[in-house]
Amino acid sequence: MIFQNIKMALISIKSAKMRSFLTMLGIIIGVFAVLVMIGIGDGVKAQVTSQVSSLGTNLLQVTSGQIGGSSSNAKNGQQQKSSGGSFNFASSIGASTLTTQDVATIEQTKNVSAVAPINVLSSVVAYDQLTTSSPFILGTTPNYSDIRQLKFQNGRFFSDNENNSVAKVVVIGADTKQNLFADGDAIDKQIIIRGQKFTIVGVVNKSDVGSGIGGTSDDIIYLPINTVDKLAGSNQVFRIVVQVNKAENISSAQNQIKAELKKNHGGQEDFSVLTQEDLLSTFNTILDLLTTFVVAIASISLLVGGIGIMNIMLVTVSERTREIGIRKAIGATSGNILSQFLIEAIILSVLGGLLGLGLSYLAGLLVKKFAGITPVFSLKALVLALGVSLIVGVVFGVAPAIKAARKRPIQALKSL
Amino acid sequence: MSKNSKKTVIYMKSVGKRFDDEAGVLDALKDVNLEIYAGDFVAIMGPSGSGKSTLMNIIGLLDKSTSGVFMLDDVDIASLSQKQLAVLRRDKIGFVFQNFNLLPRLNVAQNVELPMVYAKKSKSERKQKIAEVLKKVGLEDKAKSRSNRMSGGQVQRVAIARALTNDPSLILADEPTGNLDTKTGIEIMNLLRDLNKQGVTIVVVTHNPEVGDYANKIVMVRDGLLHKTKAVS
Repeated sequence: MIFQNIKMALISIKSAKMRSFLTMLGIIIGVFAVLVMIGIGDGVKAQVTSQVSSLGTNLLQVTSGQIGGSSSNAKNGQQQKSSGGSFNFASSIGASTLTTQDVATIEQTKNVSAVAPINVLSSVVAYDQLTTSSPFILGTTPNYSDIRQLKFQNGRFFSDNENNSVAKVVVIGADTKQNLFADGDAIDKQIIIRGQKFTIVGVVNKSDVGSGIGGTSDDIIYLPINTVDKLAGSNQVFRIVVQVNKAENISSAQNQIKAELKKNHGGQEDFSVLTQEDLLSTFNTILDLLTTFVVAIASISLLVGGIGIMNIMLVTVSERTREIGIRKAIGATSGNILSQFLIEAIILSVLGGLLGLGLSYLAGLLVKKFAGITPVFSLKALVLALGVSLIVGVVFGVAPAIKAARKRPIQALKSL
Repeated sequence: MSKNSKKTVIYMKSVGKRFDDEAGVLDALKDVNLEIYAGDFVAIMGPSGSGKSTLMNIIGLLDKSTSGVFMLDDVDIASLSQKQLAVLRRDKIGFVFQNFNLLPRLNVAQNVELPMVYAKKSKSERKQKIAEVLKKVGLEDKAKSRSNRMSGGQVQRVAIARALTNDPSLILADEPTGNLDTKTGIEIMNLLRDLNKQGVTIVVVTHNPEVGDYANKIVMVRDGLLHKTKAVS
């Protein structure tokens, strides 16, 4: 009987193709919007994850202020003032509480294999007639190059000597080089930062994880940190990147650094020591919130789509009163009629869901091509989309189906 | 065969139908007594408004009487639920309508199959029966045709085939020739007579005396009363 009903439903859907398509449109758009949003959200997440892991292995980041989100900490029984995933924006952009003394302290900590302090500088950059303010200017030590395992198109990273002597040398990213020098040679050329001339000693390869999110941009300029301190006139440390010798020591190193730094800071934990997972979980918390919000808005179109299906099915039932009468006269029970119209509504809805699914896949290809984000379509999202369209079909198909089933055969047969 | 040994298909005793609504009270049927036996060919005749449509609806289980006793194949109808009525209608009654009432989106075989689908018969049984009844009405080569590409006479044959599929106790035909030209109408009545000779019980509702001539029993309805019952030899 269900098979027969499906067959009947397909026959009537086919006999009114345009109307069926318009009826499905709401569901198509709804499923499409939800899937694309989830897909882009998951895609950004995957991209950020790969970028964070490309920063290097066994890393800890020490930042100023309190940034929560350490599930591993909670497991280790550590005190955690902020709840998991919380994020104090003000503390992350305020004046840094980290000092060069902290860097020295961390270098002495057990299991730490390399430490690189980072400072940032804002300035326009000029070469010849060209001026740009887009590069991210970063002061650090040669350790940074080792930790990040930077590869060079040309030249080299600056040396410890150059750092110690406050040399005016820079290493630039692939995009910065392209912007300022196009295909020309950049090595030994001089660029102007804050009115002073700097000599380019190296050009870094383009990173292979794409650009934009997470600070691995290729539009970047590396300076010796001592040079930056001198230019900026302060010796605060914005962030400290720490490499731990082995993966299994990350957690203990994290705790030890925390304890040592707390002593430096007079018992105040006004800094955070974050693993790569912590960084990700903070980011994911924000992204999940955004995705949920957008998906919730997109879901409204599913609701509207469902109402559209109900509307058309009610019209269909009125138009097919005579058919209902004939079917009842030749032996259909009210239950037969009910299931026929309910299944028709469900098929409309699920068919709409499938079309939305196909459309969102195509949109994913476009997003990948033009936005540089690879949307991820998880099985969970597919099941969700089809499940939801099934439920929409049932919920909004019931009322028309009941209306159809209640028709009295004599009256139904009289209608034209 | 004597009348007494025949199976009673329809038994009506003092059956009445009263419509009671805002428009007032109307007794469409009053004190109808009627017996129809297996193998009968009965014509229910009368002018419009006489109550013959109401009588047909009650016999066809599309409507319930409001008084009296009505038994179909020894089953008392009064106590049945809507669902039980639908099942009984499916198994015992084959409808033939004036305006054919095929489903236009389905082809001939699918239309004929529908009552068997509702009766949950197996696919092989359905297939076999479709061929059998289409042969009976002379349309064995039209199984895949659409009703909108067929003549009125052919469509009515399909409707008769559909009425036969569940081997009903009676075929109830409401003005079966009403939408047909005279020649085609005669063909359809001849077909019904042939089926009757093969043992199918037939009840025809009509106001056309020529149709009545095919019956072996005529029931006249006037003003909600059975006026006379005439056996035709």
